[in-house]
Amino acid sequence: MVSPDGAAPAAVDLGVSYAGMSLKNPILTASGTFGYGQELEGLLDVASLGGLCTKGISPARRSGNPSPRICETASGMINSIGLENVGVDGFLDAKLPYLAGLTRAGSSVWVNFFGTDFDGYVECARRLAEGVAARGGGVSALEMNISCPNVHAGGLEFGTDPAVARKLVRACKDTLDAAGSPLRLLVKLTPNITDVVALARAVADGGADGITLINTLSAMAIDARKRRPRIATIFGGLSGPAIKPVALRMVYQVHRARVPIPICGIGGITSGEDAAEFLLAGASCVQVGTQSFAEPGAAARVLAELTAFCRETRVARVADLIGALDTGDTRPPACIT
Amino acid sequence: MSASAFTATLIERIELGPHVFVLRLGGCEALAGTQPGQFVMMRGDWGRDPLLPRAFSLLAVLPGGEVTVLIKAAGRGTALCERAAPGARFSVLGPLGRAFPAPSADRHDLLVAGGVGLAPILMQADAAALAGHAARCEIVYGARTVADLVLRDACEARTRTHYSTDDGSLGTPGRVTEPLAARLRAIAATGAPPPTLLVCGPNPMMAAVRTLAREHGAPCWVSLEGEMACGYGVCLGCAVAAAPGAPGAAERPYRYVCKDGPVFPAEHVEW
Repeated sequence: MVSPDGAAPAAVDLGVSYAGMSLKNPILTASGTFGYGQELEGLLDVASLGGLCTKGISPARRSGNPSPRICETASGMINSIGLENVGVDGFLDAKLPYLAGLTRAGSSVWVNFFGTDFDGYVECARRLAEGVAARGGGVSALEMNISCPNVHAGGLEFGTDPAVARKLVRACKDTLDAAGSPLRLLVKLTPNITDVVALARAVADGGADGITLINTLSAMAIDARKRRPRIATIFGGLSGPAIKPVALRMVYQVHRARVPIPICGIGGITSGEDAAEFLLAGASCVQVGTQSFAEPGAAARVLAELTAFCRETRVARVADLIGALDTGDTRPPACIT
Repeated sequence: MSASAFTATLIERIELGPHVFVLRLGGCEALAGTQPGQFVMMRGDWGRDPLLPRAFSLLAVLPGGEVTVLIKAAGRGTALCERAAPGARFSVLGPLGRAFPAPSADRHDLLVAGGVGLAPILMQADAAALAGHAARCEIVYGARTVADLVLRDACEARTRTHYSTDDGSLGTPGRVTEPLAARLRAIAATGAPPPTLLVCGPNPMMAAVRTLAREHGAPCWVSLEGEMACGYGVCLGCAVAAAPGAPGAAERPYRYVCKDGPVFPAEHVEW
């Protein structure tokens, strides 16, 4: 990974390949933290990013949860927005034209999606694939959010049962194949499970092209003086720097297990060095999430810092960082106390 | 005008009362056109905790790229603002959101403030005075006690000001609705049409003012606070329920304090 003569590289090759796609750099933005992209125009050069992932789209538009929907916690925040979104038709009509422009500018556009039941997922994937194709493309991948509650399984997340997750991914993949869609199918995994490797293997078996790791951690916060939960739905998803160590551990575990599809790392990235850590742990690209709330230009800054990090550490190709963690002879213990 | 992200520098911090202070910030040329009621998201060099910026209405736009912000230290972020020393740097995003209706010769406005909700109210009074409409507006300003009624000279320099304090230490004893109700009755007695109420303060206070406005048939605008992470419309944290009768309530049951507000017609939202 060090250039042969040991000198700082004149230019850093930032390109990476991910799930059959060529990304101009490994920095993307995370679903739910970057709107549909257009909201950020004027605040950073969106097209300079490797790509973006949209707010999660469902078959029909959704209005979301009552307030309070968010609260700040130590080095992070909890949200329970309720997957509010414009729905497939609203997305295709109002959001896709801008995103297609980004695709033409060389950024990778991923559309996050979900359903409220099994058939809803499949319907959403089909209508997005057909709708995008009918409008001449402009999207590279669908990112499936399997962290939604499965009402038919007592509200457990789809993504907590590897067998259910495999079946759901397979059904969506078959739908995309049947439609002749060129869209990649990526799956965003929940961290709210015991064995992330089993889940990663299951979605790979189901035909996923890549894994996004991790979604938010299930969490709650309490206002002791009011004796009330601090968000209306009691539980929400924890994000931000607080979760980065958990995310790194999960990315590394899946990478080390040689699950046969690549990983997009996400969880508390606020700097170029954070991004480098995820690449070293085995991610091929990363998403910047919550930090974009605090700083709309965060993803562009992370990209600039990652480039500087490569220069300083004499890395000529950012792809050389992927999975390059040096653990020596150390192996994680069987039992962590 | 669209929002800009930039770094501002603290020029001075002016103590006004118990944990109430003004930050005077330089390097804010991008905020020159900010209208009363619009806000900024602001964060100091706080490392990774607290993570999120804080929303503040501007108090004033000054010449030379300076602005002032009125803050009451209440949580971690505002406590850090209280300890900030001159030269401290703040990341700022703004101006954001929708402003109060511009001062007009066609209206009589009662500008109603509770505590540090005074900031956009005083800026509105300033705009009215500048536009030559000072005689068409009055400030009604309430707080718990006289020490919390900061910037009284600034209010009185701009227009007629009525006070209330919960403990009776200045003005009408009781809530701000006491002097407000008195003014509404007095105006009604002259046969004039009801004034327009522009309100900023704690949520229960704004709800009480809305009730009074209904009783008097007075148009009422409120500047709401919301839990927000971003301030520019992507976190969707600052949702407030649209009132059943609000335009488009069926299709859009929630409104966003950051984009649709913070200033709303009081009858369009529930809080």
